[in-house]
Amino acid sequence: MFVYEKKLQYPVNIKTPNLKLAKIIASQYGGPDGELGASLRYLSQRFTMPLPELKATLTDIGTEELGHLEMIGAILYQLTKGVDRKEIEAAGFESYFVDHTTGVYPASAAGVPFTAAYIQSKGDPITDLHENLAAEQKARTTYDNILRFADDPDVKDAIRFLRQREVVHYQRFGENLRILTDKLDEKNFYAFNPSFDKKCFKNQMKKK
Amino acid sequence: MTEREIMCKKLSSYQFAVDDMQLYLDTHPYDADTVDKMNDLKAKLESVRVEFEKKYGPLTADANSKNRWSWVKAPWPWETEDD
Repeated sequence: MFVYEKKLQYPVNIKTPNLKLAKIIASQYGGPDGELGASLRYLSQRFTMPLPELKATLTDIGTEELGHLEMIGAILYQLTKGVDRKEIEAAGFESYFVDHTTGVYPASAAGVPFTAAYIQSKGDPITDLHENLAAEQKARTTYDNILRFADDPDVKDAIRFLRQREVVHYQRFGENLRILTDKLDEKNFYAFNPSFDKKCFKNQMKKK
Repeated sequence: MTEREIMCKKLSSYQFAVDDMQLYLDTHPYDADTVDKMNDLKAKLESVRVEFEKKYGPLTADANSKNRWSWVKAPWPWETEDD
């Protein structure tokens, strides 16, 4: 169950439209390492995740990512507001404009529509947590790359916030991996799938 | 920044502190000091939220069921003063 709150996680207040920036930031909406993929990845993986701490982390980070998706949407809306034909041509924004006008659409910076192929839900917590650790770093690098091109302080402020959250989420997923492996048979973490072969947990092995 | 934006930022700051601690507590559920700190911040967040909703309308759809218009009307979170 989700309850919507009528506010952003962190304020976005951009005064100057900038189509060139919108074109690259759009990738964090529906691109390969964007916020849509992040929320779908975590909220899907949690169903087969063992251990309460891991379910809680995936639920809370997955929910926060939906808030980040909304922030990116707000950034795109504000960066494309009130632009005219000349500005669209100068920024090379026509290829986006012809299909979506200034509507917010999930696609990568290169225009590839969002695809679930960007994410994985493998049903194996060790595999999924490694996917998530990599995903947070990939998103962090994307934000670093966006910051190389952003000179508007209003844009930078919001992007820096989002970048920092990737670092925190990476930390939490690292803790998840440690919590999981602490409870597994340390002779070989990879001999079993802890979601499928439940007997690999230490306490269940003792019971046998 | 308008008065509404200033107050919204205050609300978001408390909300963020609570959310970040909650994420930490997902992997450290027995850290009693952080639980106390989070509860303290939650109380502060609640008082700002009540004040904000009284001044600027509901933050959730069911917060003020008597007055649907105050939920429906602008500003929506992606909108700025010039919308």
